[in-house]
Amino acid sequence: MLKNPNWKSIGTVLGETFIDCFYFSLKNYKAKKGDIVTTDSKVPSSEGKIIPVTVWGKISTIESSNAFFPTEAAQELTNEDIDIRDTILPTTRDELICKVVILGYTKDEDKSSKLLPLIYPVRPAATVKYPSSEDVEALLISDLNSSHPIYIGSLLAREAVKIRIDADNLVSRHVSIFGMSGSGKTVMVRRIMHEMLCKNYPMLVLDIHGDYLGFIQKQQELYPDNKIKLFYPNLSVSSEDKEIIYTLIDKLGKPLTDPQKDFLNSLLEKVKYESGSLLKYVKLLNQRSREYASEGSTSFKNIRPASMYVVARSLGQVAKKLENMEQTNFRHRKKMSKLKFVELADPATEPEKIISKGQLSILYLKGYETLPASAIVSILLENLFKHRQEVNEEIPPFLTIIEEAHNFIPSRSENKDDLPSVETIRKVITEGRKFGTGIMIISQRPSRLDETIASQCNSQIIFRMVNQRDQKATRDRSETLDVDDSKQLPNLANGQGIISGQVVNFSLPVQIKFDEKLINEDIGNENFIDTVENWDDSEAVKERQKFAQDFSDISDIDNRSAN
Amino acid sequence: MSLEISIKDKIKRNSSMFVNFVKSAVTASPKVQNNFLDVSAKVAETVLKIVKDADLIVDLNYKGKEFWSQNRCKTACFVDGGVDKTSIISSAPLSIRAGSYVVKPDAISKREYFEESMVFLGDLYDPKNELYDFIDDDFEEDQMLNKKKDGARIIFEAATIVKHILLNKKFDYCFLHGPIEGTVMPFSVPGFPTFTKFAVENMFPFAVNKKTDIAARHFINVYLEALNYIKKGKFPIYGIVETSNSAPYVKNLLYNYKSQGKISDKDYNNFIKIIKKYKITDSHLLEIILSSGQALKPIEIKKQIQGFTVTTGSSWEDKMESFPKVFIGYIKTTDNNSPIRIESLNNSKNLIKDYEYILGTSRLLPNYGFPVGLNVVDKFAKIPNWMSKASRKYYATHLLRQAVKNKDQNTISLAVKILSKKARSWRNRPIGGITK
Repeated sequence: MLKNPNWKSIGTVLGETFIDCFYFSLKNYKAKKGDIVTTDSKVPSSEGKIIPVTVWGKISTIESSNAFFPTEAAQELTNEDIDIRDTILPTTRDELICKVVILGYTKDEDKSSKLLPLIYPVRPAATVKYPSSEDVEALLISDLNSSHPIYIGSLLAREAVKIRIDADNLVSRHVSIFGMSGSGKTVMVRRIMHEMLCKNYPMLVLDIHGDYLGFIQKQQELYPDNKIKLFYPNLSVSSEDKEIIYTLIDKLGKPLTDPQKDFLNSLLEKVKYESGSLLKYVKLLNQRSREYASEGSTSFKNIRPASMYVVARSLGQVAKKLENMEQTNFRHRKKMSKLKFVELADPATEPEKIISKGQLSILYLKGYETLPASAIVSILLENLFKHRQEVNEEIPPFLTIIEEAHNFIPSRSENKDDLPSVETIRKVITEGRKFGTGIMIISQRPSRLDETIASQCNSQIIFRMVNQRDQKATRDRSETLDVDDSKQLPNLANGQGIISGQVVNFSLPVQIKFDEKLINEDIGNENFIDTVENWDDSEAVKERQKFAQDFSDISDIDNRSAN
Repeated sequence: MSLEISIKDKIKRNSSMFVNFVKSAVTASPKVQNNFLDVSAKVAETVLKIVKDADLIVDLNYKGKEFWSQNRCKTACFVDGGVDKTSIISSAPLSIRAGSYVVKPDAISKREYFEESMVFLGDLYDPKNELYDFIDDDFEEDQMLNKKKDGARIIFEAATIVKHILLNKKFDYCFLHGPIEGTVMPFSVPGFPTFTKFAVENMFPFAVNKKTDIAARHFINVYLEALNYIKKGKFPIYGIVETSNSAPYVKNLLYNYKSQGKISDKDYNNFIKIIKKYKITDSHLLEIILSSGQALKPIEIKKQIQGFTVTTGSSWEDKMESFPKVFIGYIKTTDNNSPIRIESLNNSKNLIKDYEYILGTSRLLPNYGFPVGLNVVDKFAKIPNWMSKASRKYYATHLLRQAVKNKDQNTISLAVKILSKKARSWRNRPIGGITK
């Protein structure tokens, strides 16, 4: 029985009540939006008895009005610069009306505090009470009924109420985390990762910005018993996946005509390459096509050498860009010399090096353009998923965390449907529940995400969001997000979010716990003005400056004599 | 000539005058319509001359910030009553309440408070031992019900002021929303019920010796007692009327001039005829004559007049003379609205200060130009719909239960008739076409 006679009364239920909500008049300053409140009521039981119950609800809106303060009066006060307290106008008649969204009821006679759906409206004129933080927390935990709850923060309206979410649903039913830049998405993901690491649950993070490298830095200190691996991508290709070459040429090279495509097709058949580095394969194809062209080979019917040269040039462009991306990624890795990066193992043959119990694998994708990054993710997830589908599973269930998900699963309206990762992630997210391959998608632009994939996420954690298209997309794709809560999205502060869906049972505004220790120290902050103030030119720059004036003088003299 | 032009211009700009003009266009003869503007201008010009001659116009001083910093120490009380709008037929008005809004801006604690002075649900009037005070004629029945409601509201408002005086409240001002003294003639009709002993005892404890005398509990007697008590109140008490639909000020002013021999009987009589013919009221005339911030000094007026058909020959005729005279003045609070009527039972020694206070409180509603405290208490005293609905439901159930208990078939039929009466309304008329 979750009922406490010491709960303070904070208001009175108004005249009309409903099954899903009621309104009440609130005492000044006694509750806030998002607070959990209760009222005593009675409901008919299935046996026909009338049983006393406690109805629980969440304050979704608060409106304040002073019916005795005419608008015209404000005009006079402003124009004449009059202090309202000097006049006879009433200053203490504010009426606070709260809307309460009903969460359910608990039976007063039951020991369990599992919330049941309300089947009879609450009594008008009933007293509204403010339950203690302990009781609210107990209700939330009991109602969650989770064998693996994880702590993520506190109720936004009440710091003392700790909020936990259900880890089982989190890893099996997929989660989406949306919010604008700097709103707290990464803080939330780090919090979840921290808790899941403590449970030894394997995770794979597709990290574009290096936001999660803090886990590696703090491994010895915080996670001595876990394996945390930092991978850099290895673009590989297998004998069955040669289709990727067409896509790469289309996106990174020069588009081909039909005869040129015919040549490429024949070339792919002719050049033997079982599996290995994609870059090496592209370079090999480039070399062979040049050879065929210079020889004036006649082994390709109706294809002139000029067409072969075009294909060769296009392959060359692709190779160059892939090489550049690899080098960019390498330069970024070099900046973080203290961290140990390893080449991504082959997911087809050595999946256990990527996914194993207690291991966190971070794939550092910085520097890669969308298409190659998408190809890398597609190949990786496809293979890992296959291993989970097999009868003799080689890897345990795992959670994939996809940062900047709009890069990998763009909406159809973005015209990037041919990204290989879209199809793969769609398959994994649709069937993943059966095979324990949960996905967490993170994005600041939910309106740019693939609709099918986004709507497969049964839980949402939403942070500050100003863009109206993104707000609409978020509402459209969530079945459980409270309408009144969603109106609050543009006004949320950093680290404040709304959690809804199967990880919590009902929509809750939450202040996420900030884990300062998990910040990547190498990324630093974004205070560029301070950086410039403390700027000192590098040695190479100083060297160049030493002689720059001399060379400049020579040029000046030369120009003068010429004139 | 220039005065006439200016008045004509004012009439053209004046909204309520224009409304009256439109009304005249609908109801009056073509000749009256044609003359309306010219006559109105001439009447206004004449009245203005007389008002100036009598030195009745005063300029009031109001400077927003300065005014309120000087008057923040004053305690003001605003009183208003509300009547339930239900029209279930019964011997008693169902819900009536009168509220007070008391405010002292500079008070350290309890700066402002509201009082619901009295609440009566039914049983205000004596039912004369009949189960239902029900008249067969629908028209007469509705009229009587309306009178009962009006009587109850007026008595409640008076009782609220009386209570403040009885409790020795230290007010600097007390304002009533409406006339300080209502016309009692409508309540002199035969058959108008008396109040219950309980009601009189509660409202006017000083009239306790009258409780055994049924006639003493009639509205007119009780109201007279109340007004005499209010007249003796130690703080200034004013009734403020928003719109004036008659011309008591102008008529009485001219009557005084006639009595003093300053105008002839003939001119006076013609003038009265003219303002009746063209439906010219105090509001219309004074809206043109006065400028914003100006007031007309009060003149003493007799509100209860002998000789009306209803009172003639009735036992109440002599009583009319006993009612106190009322001092009536006007203040034009804004440019855009007609002047408000200020009524009091005494001629104040601090008239200008009092009027300036009324102007100051009205300026807080710069467009509507009415004391904002009365606007506040009006909202407070208004019986909300939910309360009316609830009382109607309660009353209907009670009535039917009583009737069924009685087991008399006629009584049951009567109760059903009463309850079903409300169901016939234009809102319930059949709708054409296919209804879902």
